[in-house]
Amino acid sequence: MARETIPGRLSTAHTVRVAWRNLRRNRRRTWITATTVAIAVLLFQCFLALLTAVEQQSFDNLIRYQTAHAKLYAAGHFELRDEFPLDYPLSQLERIQEKARSVDGVAATTPRLTFSARLSDGIDQIACLGVGIQVTGSDADVFRIPQAVVAGTYLTEDEDGLLLGSGLAELFGVSAGDWLTVLAKTQAGAYEALDLPVVGLVGTGNPLIDRNSFLLPLRTAQYLLGMETAATEVAVRFAARARESATLRRLRDAMEAEGLTVKSWEEMEQDFMALVKVKRTGQGVMLGIFIVIALVGVTNTVLMAAFERTREIGMMMAMGLRGTGVQRLFLLEGGLTGLLGGALGSAVALAIIGYFASVGIDLNALYGDMDLGYPVKDVLYPAISAGLVLGCWLGTGALAAIASLYPAVRASRQDPVEALRHV
Amino acid sequence: MALAARLVDVKKVYRVGDIDVQAVRGVSLDIEAGAFLSIAGPSGSGKTTILNLLGALDTPTGGSIWIGEQSTEGLSAKTLADFRNTHLGFVFQTFNLVPVLTVEENVELPLQLHGIADPAERKTRVQRMLEEVGLGDLADRRPTELSGGQQQRVGIARALVKGPTLVLADEPTANLDSTTAGEIMDLMQAMNERHETTFVFSTHDPMVMERANRLVRLRDGRIESDKRRNGGRRGA
Repeated sequence: MARETIPGRLSTAHTVRVAWRNLRRNRRRTWITATTVAIAVLLFQCFLALLTAVEQQSFDNLIRYQTAHAKLYAAGHFELRDEFPLDYPLSQLERIQEKARSVDGVAATTPRLTFSARLSDGIDQIACLGVGIQVTGSDADVFRIPQAVVAGTYLTEDEDGLLLGSGLAELFGVSAGDWLTVLAKTQAGAYEALDLPVVGLVGTGNPLIDRNSFLLPLRTAQYLLGMETAATEVAVRFAARARESATLRRLRDAMEAEGLTVKSWEEMEQDFMALVKVKRTGQGVMLGIFIVIALVGVTNTVLMAAFERTREIGMMMAMGLRGTGVQRLFLLEGGLTGLLGGALGSAVALAIIGYFASVGIDLNALYGDMDLGYPVKDVLYPAISAGLVLGCWLGTGALAAIASLYPAVRASRQDPVEALRHV
Repeated sequence: MALAARLVDVKKVYRVGDIDVQAVRGVSLDIEAGAFLSIAGPSGSGKTTILNLLGALDTPTGGSIWIGEQSTEGLSAKTLADFRNTHLGFVFQTFNLVPVLTVEENVELPLQLHGIADPAERKTRVQRMLEEVGLGDLADRRPTELSGGQQQRVGIARALVKGPTLVLADEPTANLDSTTAGEIMDLMQAMNERHETTFVFSTHDPMVMERANRLVRLRDGRIESDKRRNGGRRGA
């Protein structure tokens, strides 16, 4: 028994077959349009892969060298953090850390004493940021400073010394073994100075650390600032498999009961995150323009195809093809053009991204010490997921079909008599 | 005798710029089922307009049109499309085959639009119809690989494959040489007799007019004469 379909419409399989063959009527035009779409898709995917890699490396950099996953502060400190106040110290560090470490999902904690200071080589004086770190036992469990040492050695607990940002060292023209004077205001408000040897240089790719910071043992910093056993913050690293939001919530529940403030790395880097959003938007607009140009090409191609086939459409309408059937045909033609271009662009993008994912993009060779606006360094490895490629490909088809809507509707609204008379 | 179509005082006025052009001025015509009717007349006499009105492609500004038992008055565009698909077949002067489809696929098109989803049934009907028009062995060819006469045979097969009440042909032989035109008329006549399908066609060609068993002449949108014959003259 014959199965009935909707009268006045071609079956989907038949419509796809006809649409595909229609694309081959004017192959040159189809390829030109598909190539335009392919270029837009190529740019989109390459850019997205690069942006994702840059952002991911930036976030990793911030977490590994600056913010950790979260930090604990005494109440009132975070609001004034830009002034690096010493008036809200954390005492009872062992107890606080023990409690934080007991929270499910927390892997390690370490105290830090961050303060505003001036460094001098006897001639020049530069305002910068001093960070007292617990050399033995904990800072390296949370941060990756030891891995970022580019010259000299890491700090040792029983020996005073400075680990200097590589950019800062360049400004002073010093290297490991040279001496610098640290000048800072103590918690009581008096100025104190210490001459310390530079034991090593760190290059993290993070401008705040490389160009503005020096690290020293916590004990030395406490001595310099007259803060005995106190610190300004406790940095917290989450376990690799812990869910960040859930761990943060549990940490908040546990520590806020102690009168402490818990801030996630995203909250600490609000300005950077806002900048990332602005950059994403700006670059998205630029890509959007490329995509619009490609889609206008699709609209134009389908419009021309519909015009050229006016009499054929009239014939099909005379035979009973409804307007929706005409629309489906042209929407599919546009969609298929998009899918063709999308496949082409995705294939080239995958080849390019795949190549750079294996060899990496050497940022130092490309940009040297130039500030890219992201805390990244060395080699960047762009990456793209299969899901994203598939989504992008299907999305291109859908957008191209949407771009064909106007010519499709226009074609479907023709008067069959006029269409049949068309020369 | 049952009527395949009926025109009752049909008028059609076109607006061209600021001027009303009266293309059809009150035509009444009963077309018996199984007729092989030719509409003749000079250019501008209203032949094509009458065919368009009979084909439910256009709506009259006055009067009424019946195809079989169904009036076309007040039907929506969608209903008219379905109506054409069910009751009417069209043969065009310029064949109007879809170049990207094979002969078989072109003839299959009305069956698809008719809602027959079973491919086997469609294939059987298409093959039978192609055999009838003498193109059984050219099913896989593209229209561009066929002569004008062969293309028009495909057009006739396409018009007849779903068994319409009425087949309308607007100058079906105008683009063909006289020999091929004669062959096409033979084929249409054979189909008319074999399937008892009603054919209405417009023409300028006296040879084609002679084939009709009824000849309606139009002038200035009116019927000038309406002559019947006992069977049109058959070709050699």
